[in-house]
Parts: sequence; C-alpha cells; structure tokens
Amino acid sequence: MTATQALTGAQTQALLLKLTVLADDEIILAHRCGEWTGHAPILEEDIALANIAQDELGHAGMYLTLAQSLGGSDPDHVAFWRGPDDYRNTRLVELPKGDWAFTMVRQFLYDTSEALWLEAATSSTYAPLAEIAAKAVREEKFHVQHTALWVERLALGTPESERRTQAALTELWPHAAQLFQPIQGEAELTAAGILPDLNAAHARWTDLVTRHLTQKCGLTLPDAPDTQPGRDTHTPHLAPLLEEMQSVAREHPDAEVW
Amino acid sequence: MTEPQPQPRATGTQWPRWEVFKQDAPGRPHQAVGSVHAGDPLHALLTARNVFVRRPAAVSLWCVPEGDLLTTTPEELVTTPALLDASGTSGTYHVGVKRTIRRSMTFVDLSGTVNAGGPGDALRQARTLHPDALAWMVFPESAVVRTEEDAGTVDSWFAPARDKTYKQQQYYGVIGRHASELKRAGRMPGRAASEESA
Repeated sequence: MTATQALTGAQTQALLLKLTVLADDEIILAHRCGEWTGHAPILEEDIALANIAQDELGHAGMYLTLAQSLGGSDPDHVAFWRGPDDYRNTRLVELPKGDWAFTMVRQFLYDTSEALWLEAATSSTYAPLAEIAAKAVREEKFHVQHTALWVERLALGTPESERRTQAALTELWPHAAQLFQPIQGEAELTAAGILPDLNAAHARWTDLVTRHLTQKCGLTLPDAPDTQPGRDTHTPHLAPLLEEMQSVAREHPDAEVW
Repeated sequence: MTEPQPQPRATGTQWPRWEVFKQDAPGRPHQAVGSVHAGDPLHALLTARNVFVRRPAAVSLWCVPEGDLLTTTPEELVTTPALLDASGTSGTYHVGVKRTIRRSMTFVDLSGTVNAGGPGDALRQARTLHPDALAWMVFPESAVVRTEEDAGTVDSWFAPARDKTYKQQQYYGVIGRHASELKRAGRMPGRAASEESA
C-alpha cells in the first residue's frame, strides 16, 4: 500500500458525501433484509438474509469510520440521529420488502452494482478506500452468487414464481439506475483516481444484469426513466423505516456502548 | 459438478435434506456439521455456506443428499444386521466415523475412502477399519457436490469468515449501564438495597 495521499478540502468534502451515500444505501437495505428475520420462506434463508444484513452493516461501518477520520460524525450518530431529510440512500433500497421475489430481485440489482463498484474501487489511489473495497468485495461477490441463483430459480420456477419475479422487476427496474447517480464532485474525485469511473461501472452492470435477467432468466426489462430525482428525494416509506430502526437509540440517547 | 439424483420427496412442498461436511483447514478431515434443505446442488452449497461458514473459517464444503447416506451404530447392527447387505452402486465410498460423544457441533469425521460393492459393503469395511467407533457413516463419492477450489471461490466464500471471531457473551455491550454495575450499586430489583440507593 502506498502512503495515504493528502486530500484537498474540496476532495475531502466530496468524499465525505460519497461515503455517506454508500453507507446510507447499505444501512437501509440491511434494515429491509433484517425485516425477514423470523419470516423468510425457510430457516436457511432466514439465516442467509441475516448474514447479508450484517455484511452490509459492516460495510456501512467501514465507510462511516473512514468518513469520521475525515471529519465526519460518529458512525452511530450518523445512522441513528438523522431523519429522512438527511438520508441520502436510493429509493430502490427503501421500498418495503415485498414478497420473496421482490426481495431477491432488489438484492440482485443492488448486490451486482455494489460488487462491480467495489471491484473497481480496489484500484483507488486513496489507500483507505482501496482497503475497504478489497475487504467488502469478497463478501459482495458471494451475495451476488446467492441472489443471482435465487432470481434464476424463481424466474424459471412455477408460473406463480415467474409472475412474481417479473412483477418485482417491473416495479424495481425504473429505480435501479439511481444507484449510479453521481454525487456532487464525483467527476473530480474520479479524475484524481480516488473514486472509480461510475459510468464504466454502470455500463458493466447494465451488461451483466441484462444478460442474467433476460437471457438466463427469460424476464422482460421494462422501460426506465431517463432521469431520476436526486438522493434527497424519498418515498413515504423511508420515514417509518427510520422511526423503527432508530427507536432504541433515541430512547437511550445516553447509551455508552452498543 | 456431478448432479446427484434428487431424493424422492415426502410431500410436494419439501426440498430434500443435504448433509453438510465442512473442512476447517487444508489437511483436516471434512466433518459432518449439520444439514440444509435445498432444491439443487448449487443451492445446497450456497445455503450451507450461509448457515455454517459465516464463522469460523473453513476451506471447503461438501453436500450429500440425505438418501445417499447410510449411517449406523453397533447397537443398530445387533438388531438390524441387514444394513450390512444394503445394495447400491459400487465404487468409491467415503467413510465417516463418530469416535466420541464429547464433541459438540460435529457428528462424524471423514476418515478416508474404501472401494465397495455397495453401501452395505462400505459399512462392513468401515466397521472393520474402525471397530471401536460409536457410529459409522458411508456415502458414495458420486453423490458428493463440492465447493470449487479456485481462488475466487475461496476468497468470496471462505476468506471473509477468517476475520470474524466468536464473541463471548460478556463482550457484548449493553445499552446504558451493565447489570454488574447496578448490582454493585444495590440497584437491581429484588436485591437487598444498600444504604445509598433509594
């Protein structure tokens, strides 16, 4: 590892925002995964989703710990004391968990995007980010295998499972491109080699998921809007999610240890 | 990956059960750690990884459909000697041996292979090789599905667990104050209160 390069003030601010954006997606999706605990179709998948949720929270923790070292707030504070107006997650991850097909299709869209982004981020010139990516990408590649397998089996299973899988994709696909929405200052960080090229990752992702969903699984991709509102615009589903997720922390504001 | 025949199902809604064998480190025996329900070999392996290898570390997983396993104990062989005549495919069989009741988390350790005319013959050989065992298990090599050994699989399936350790219960933090602190202060309900607590 090379010595950590010094960031300019503008780069630091942009990177802080990027780390928040990455962590918020992980936190919110982890909570949606956690909602399956005790309710998954089989015990084994109950355990799998709890695993995935913990992995995602682990990634969020790494992002927020790095952000803290750059001047950000304490990770627990960031997670539990911001309201829906301050969260910067995509709408894709905040939608209610839906049925099993919805959960698996959403995980597939998300896991593939994260795995490709992380793989590219392992080449970051900013060593702390490259280290996080190297650690997280291993777990993410396993998540992709797990959800790709499930989407395939649901899509090619019974007429009922195929109908549900297609319905999930039809609902989720228009939201997916938001995962590749650049943050303010993203281009400068990419030019400096600190962040991977988001457009290149987006192109690789589109190719990968299109091949899997249409060719392997026989699903149909619906139209997606050309532009999306920003990550500061949320569905009505985020507020109740945060209310539940943050209730314990807010009841015990002086808790010293988690 | 060889596709074993899915087992006949008790009902149309149940997936077959697969026995899971985990190898903790290179050179160690694969050990039976439990089972998963899954619809096909790859699903079984992925599920086994989720259930059994979040922690601690492992380097390899095998899954074997329930119907391909033959297990017995010395006591069972007294009442049901016909187990030694169980017929099936001839070829290489894996032999699992249970040697102690003092082990938690595992059922048998795999101790090698025998060439057998069928599962009963494999059992007979297992008994000869390990006469003092508490239980034996045999299954044909052809029924095994295994995790890949390429770097990518090892990295994404097994490497993450290496950094995850078990935590002792007392390691977990508590919200607010730890009970022991409250006990010392005489503030636990149902305990004799010390002078300073109201």
